[in-house]
Amino acid sequence: MARRRREIGKAGWGRTAFSTVISFIYFFPVLWIILTAFKTHTDALSTPPKFIFTPTLENFVSVFARAYERGGAAVDTHFDLFFFNSIFIAGASVGVALVIGTIAAYGFSRWPLRGNETYLFIILTTRMLPPIIVIIPIFIMFRLSGLSGSYIGIILLYAAFNLPFTIWMMKSFFDEIPREVEDAARMDGSSEMKIFFRICLPQVKAGIAATAVFGLILTWNEFLFALLLTGRDTRTVPVAMAQTIGGDIGVRWGLLAAIETLFLIPVVFVTFLLQNQLLRGVTFGTIKR
Amino acid sequence: MAASYHAEHGTLLERFFARNRGPILVAPALAVLVIMNIFPLLWSFGLSFYRYRANRIKEPEFVWFKNYQKVLTDPVVWERFQTTAIIVTVDVLLQLVVGFLLALLFEKTFPGRRVLLMLVLTPMMLSFVAVGAFFRYYYEPTFGLLSQGIKAITGEPFILLGSEVGALAGIIFADVWMWSPFVMLLVLAGLVSVPKHLYEAAEIDRASWWRRFWTITFPYIRGLLLLAILFRTIEAFKLFDIVFLITEGGPGTSTETIAVYVYRVAFQYFKTSQSAALGYILLFVVIVLTNLYLFFVRRRDVEDQ
Amino acid sequence: MADIELRNLSKHFGTLAAVDDIDLDVEAGEVVCLLGPSGCGKTTTLRMIAGLEDVTAGDIFIAGQRVNDLAPRDRDIAMVFQFYALYPSLTVADNLAFPLHAEKITKEEIDRRVHEIASLLDLSHALNRVPGRLAEGEKQRVAVGRAVIRDPQCFLFDEPLSRLDIAVRQEMRGQIKQLLNGLHKATVIVTHDQIEALTIADRIAVMRDGIIEQVASPHDIFAKPANVFVAGFIGTPQMNLIEARVVDADEDTATVNTLGQEVVLPLHAEVSLQGGGGRRDTPLTVGVRPRGLEPVSEAGPATISGRVDLIEPMGAETLIHLRIGDDDLRVVTSRGLTASVGETLHVAPAEGQVHLFDHDGMRIAS
Repeated sequence: MARRRREIGKAGWGRTAFSTVISFIYFFPVLWIILTAFKTHTDALSTPPKFIFTPTLENFVSVFARAYERGGAAVDTHFDLFFFNSIFIAGASVGVALVIGTIAAYGFSRWPLRGNETYLFIILTTRMLPPIIVIIPIFIMFRLSGLSGSYIGIILLYAAFNLPFTIWMMKSFFDEIPREVEDAARMDGSSEMKIFFRICLPQVKAGIAATAVFGLILTWNEFLFALLLTGRDTRTVPVAMAQTIGGDIGVRWGLLAAIETLFLIPVVFVTFLLQNQLLRGVTFGTIKR
Repeated sequence: MAASYHAEHGTLLERFFARNRGPILVAPALAVLVIMNIFPLLWSFGLSFYRYRANRIKEPEFVWFKNYQKVLTDPVVWERFQTTAIIVTVDVLLQLVVGFLLALLFEKTFPGRRVLLMLVLTPMMLSFVAVGAFFRYYYEPTFGLLSQGIKAITGEPFILLGSEVGALAGIIFADVWMWSPFVMLLVLAGLVSVPKHLYEAAEIDRASWWRRFWTITFPYIRGLLLLAILFRTIEAFKLFDIVFLITEGGPGTSTETIAVYVYRVAFQYFKTSQSAALGYILLFVVIVLTNLYLFFVRRRDVEDQ
Repeated sequence: MADIELRNLSKHFGTLAAVDDIDLDVEAGEVVCLLGPSGCGKTTTLRMIAGLEDVTAGDIFIAGQRVNDLAPRDRDIAMVFQFYALYPSLTVADNLAFPLHAEKITKEEIDRRVHEIASLLDLSHALNRVPGRLAEGEKQRVAVGRAVIRDPQCFLFDEPLSRLDIAVRQEMRGQIKQLLNGLHKATVIVTHDQIEALTIADRIAVMRDGIIEQVASPHDIFAKPANVFVAGFIGTPQMNLIEARVVDADEDTATVNTLGQEVVLPLHAEVSLQGGGGRRDTPLTVGVRPRGLEPVSEAGPATISGRVDLIEPMGAETLIHLRIGDDDLRVVTSRGLTASVGETLHVAPAEGQVHLFDHDGMRIAS
């Protein structure tokens, strides 16, 4: 037995090498998007595909500088507005969902109603249901109320879309913190307001951050509602991207890749920071470990 | 209840708040959900009993279960269900296999694990639109990576999305790529929940890899695997964006999933009430699956205690 | 040749030396307890013997073979884990049979061995249950059974009784001792419970900060602690260890100045202050167990006096804390004492009960 033994649960550099290869193969489609973002239009469409090329920032420039260069009609696609829309709509709706949802989660966790579990089940179901079912009435509602194409409409809708997720996530965090401290504070005569704001909320700060981030990612990437319910001025990036592809002739893949790369960087960054909460995030808070 | 002693004094209003804390806390959230989700759902339910087209001004006509009857006897609908079933089955199975293998890769700690894990998790964080768009780019017959790769071997460009099987494979491949990391996360959670001393005991007891896996590891991931299957089934059942962007249901209608079909019925054929009826059938399936999912989530929570 | 030999064994975690250059021999049929406070390196030592922890420096031999680079499975050992490490999805019978699967024996033979061990450990009734449905004591017996079902070179126990409540623990101590007597293997037991070590072990290795302070039989560890640490660690209530200076010494007695009083101490037959150690003003540590101090009615040259500070009844005996200046002197007496808090009490060290330690804390013997 000459082979060097290892402690259980640990692997060495050999595993690093192997995993690096596999991970990069897995990551390759994303890598290719990033590479494409740095390619000229000709390079992006070249045959055979170019692995080595002179990188250019022109795609990124045309994403950002578009508003200032009025000359080229072909580049005038308003993506700066769409980026703003995506950020604004996602941010506002997640904010609304977080405020309402955290309070509700606290209620479900600490002051259970009769039929608490049933409420929670229905709430989760509204998140699981195929959006296509509610979209027709919502479409009609929006048209009748004039909310169609407005910020307030889509923000409210996304807030509702984020609520079930927020409630389940935050409830799972509230469930985890011990109640002794609250009871002790109650004995000391603290008001319920004070208990919620001073004792409970600080303990779920990390949970709020995680919920916000996952909410942002989910909202950020949503397509169907945005496709049907946003107007020219409130269009979000995913819809605008899809429409860029829709016009089959001369899809500017480099530009598209640049947009997606910009779109992706913050997501990857926060995902890395939240790696430990990821499981809970992707299962809507139903699975913690 | 812990707060009951607060309820003993104070003004009438204070007492009301103290007695109804739970309902008051959840009321705003429920209100939003009722307006934006439950009400549309009920509306949809109502619509499914009428003959109604959203693009006509004609008054809706009450037709009882005619829409359901129409939908359930429509061979096209069954075809779409079949397509969906094929995609869901193959998709979820492959996600399990790939996710499981990825989890084994990342089971142990090694230098650089966190960063590499991030690379593998990225697809899950992409937007459907990006995945759809770029896989379409990769499958493109002239300059797409896939076609180019095959051309380098066979000399012929390859049109993946031209055939039924190819189009299905293309969609499934993209979805498996995107969501296997999800399964990986769950399996990893199961793997790290195995107490380390069990592996140590198995090592001292000289258990083979195979026996160790089945007697120690598997019981810890069994529950999570089941949850992964259900969760991914629910999600795959609703598969819309990727299909819509990669194949638009084609060639012909060979990759048109039930979700895409409902979209077409509603927004292209404008058979509003029929799409509502169909939607309710989908909802029923999702409710059953969600119920099952939560049942196993709770059972797992109970087992943990 | 010993069955387990540790030679200059060290384990470092970063800059921390968890185990620092220790040597230990365990003969076949001998039970050695590694005893020490938490964090002293005893468990790390055991895990290194098992192969669950890498060795930083030094060698481990099992049955004469150097095993440093062998995987646990290749060391031919059996181990009982602190948390039992029973396989939760397997029944008791399958748990017991588990180590046998690696051996080339028939199913019938496995069955026979399982039933034999089960009846030996009084587990026959529970063979078809899973560990989750066992009482703590039963789990512990399954863990032991799983270890002894094979015929390994040696046994390793990691805090085997720490999870049991006191009554079951006492019973299991006896059972394990009996079992180990019959097996005649080299056995290492890690424990922080001195009663456990004193009752089960043939020899005890007292560890502190990664170093073995003393290896000796339970009797010698108690009666002849090698240094101040061992003296203070073994025995409850703790031995009184008080600073003193020599005034005078002869063959049988030593006169020392301690706690502001001059006391004539009767010396142990093996203890001698003749020669350099008895020089006037030599600093010493005097150790007397609380049971070695007897209350006497009158102060005399061989007594220490103090004010009663606290009285703790311990059933048949009474623990009295005497306050002398800033120091606390513990006295255990079995006599029905009428002393009350605040009174002055005189106590005299009994013959053969005085331990002396030098300036470095090492035992002074002749």
